[in-house]
Amino acid sequence: MARLKVNGQNHDVDVPPDMPLLWVLRDVVGLTGTKFGCGIAQCGACTILLDGKPVRSCVLPMAAVGSRGIITIEAVDAMPAGKKVQEAWTALEVPQCGYCQSGQIISATGLLSRNPDPGDADIDAAMAGNICRCGTYPRIRAAIKQAAKAGA
Amino acid sequence: MRRVFSAIGVLVVLVIAAAGAFFFLPEGEPAAAASPKQPTGTALIERGRYLAQAADCVACHTAPGGQAYAGGLAFKLPFGTIYAPNITPDKDTGIGTWTDADFVRALHSGVGKGGEMLYPAFPYASYALMSTDDALAIKAYLFSLKPVKAKAPANTISFPYNQRYLMRAWRRLFVPDHRFRMRDGQPADVNTGAYLVEALGHCGECHTPRNMLYGLDNGQKFAGAVTQGWKAYNITSDKQAGIGAWSDDDLASYLAKGYAANHGAAAGNMGEAVDDSLSHLSKPDIRAIIAYLRTVRAKSAEADERVNPDPSAIKTSTAYAPPASEVKASPLGLTMFQSACASCHGWNGEGLEHPQAALLGSRTVNDPHGTNLLQVVLYGANRGVPGEGAAFMPAFGQAYSDVEIAAVSNYVLAHFGGKKSSITPADVAAARKAAP
Repeated sequence: MARLKVNGQNHDVDVPPDMPLLWVLRDVVGLTGTKFGCGIAQCGACTILLDGKPVRSCVLPMAAVGSRGIITIEAVDAMPAGKKVQEAWTALEVPQCGYCQSGQIISATGLLSRNPDPGDADIDAAMAGNICRCGTYPRIRAAIKQAAKAGA
Repeated sequence: MRRVFSAIGVLVVLVIAAAGAFFFLPEGEPAAAASPKQPTGTALIERGRYLAQAADCVACHTAPGGQAYAGGLAFKLPFGTIYAPNITPDKDTGIGTWTDADFVRALHSGVGKGGEMLYPAFPYASYALMSTDDALAIKAYLFSLKPVKAKAPANTISFPYNQRYLMRAWRRLFVPDHRFRMRDGQPADVNTGAYLVEALGHCGECHTPRNMLYGLDNGQKFAGAVTQGWKAYNITSDKQAGIGAWSDDDLASYLAKGYAANHGAAAGNMGEAVDDSLSHLSKPDIRAIIAYLRTVRAKSAEADERVNPDPSAIKTSTAYAPPASEVKASPLGLTMFQSACASCHGWNGEGLEHPQAALLGSRTVNDPHGTNLLQVVLYGANRGVPGEGAAFMPAFGQAYSDVEIAAVSNYVLAHFGGKKSSITPADVAAARKAAP
């Protein structure tokens, strides 16, 4: 039995130590907002915040999580930066199909939490690993800048 | 005059007869008996299981995706391909009919059940040092396994390398004709470590360079060598080129878990050796291995292959962003790294996803030839550290071109190792072919 701290709540889960965190979140804890994309940390759809750092939950084994706190898309608005990002996303209607967007929002939140005024290069460095099949990249960049302006 | 001729004739006949006897007389088979100290029953099988792990039998005697010990793994050599045999106790396709004496002779002298010489891909030059008790314990363990019916493909070795009797000459040169000898005056753990490293772990088979006859060049013991595209690094006590500057705890972590803080992670053959063998060893045995490695004479290396512990680009990076100077130049390698690598490895060498993703201090990102860097980028890594879950890196070889992989490799060497490298797309193409 392992204890996971997800969105401020403790969950005791009985899972093998090598089960990827994404499986645990979706199938055991029941939080399905985080998506499975490629399964090899190359698309970013499964991004969650682990102690505030955006990491790919599809290749993160349970055993490596330890006692670190997890924030998923379901609770991102509890973070000041997350709330601003969410508002900017809605205002600019960033998503098209939406599948990659929980990962995009999480990565953007991670970026703004540590760098409140990112330039284009900072946005590229932080967001390049989050792929959008619909090509919403210009709106993602605009929304990050708007959230920054709103004081994220 | 006639006398001289007949004397020469006799000599020639004698030499031919001696050579014929050397190469063609049937192999003897010494009886193999365990000492009174040898455990019995399940204790013997358990001891054999541990020793088989320490000797890493499973690594070669298992085909990718195949059943453990059922053989079939291909060894592609310049003169053909040989296949590891099935060593489960199946009577037709495995070693089910082998006697104790057959098994011990194979390990000590490289001779098969039919009296034929075995190819030294089977590391009997190391196993020759193994005690008869330990060899018999391994046999007891193998014979406790479920027999698997699996015939390894036939070897395809070209002439003259398929003339197995010739290996008797090779054996004469490179295989010890005695068991492991304790070195007087050395602490017990150094001797234990030497036995684990030399007789069981056969570390030298990868870490020691080979001479022209493909024997181990023990004058360069553990100085590092490349096998099937992967570099086994210098593990001598040299402070810069080897492991002399590593702490005991770092070495223990690397051996038992396959990574250590500020030294990077193992992949490829060493990753396999950790997963299949070293991670199963007891803590005292790991400490003994370290104690022995500390006694191996230092061998230096080219200055540019030494690890740079503090490259300038790392100091100006954060976990999430490269330095502004790199971004401004925006080379292809940086673009590649930020889209395919940074989400796990980060930019400051600490690793974002997992401690194994930390790159600072790793020899892989400090070797300007990029030997292991190219292999791990092309073929990925899939490690299973006991108690820590899997650590996984995708294989990028199919997804990216030689130009892109050369660019990201040069970028990684500069950023994480502070090394000036000039890996070309042709080098990447060659690295693709080097792996089996």
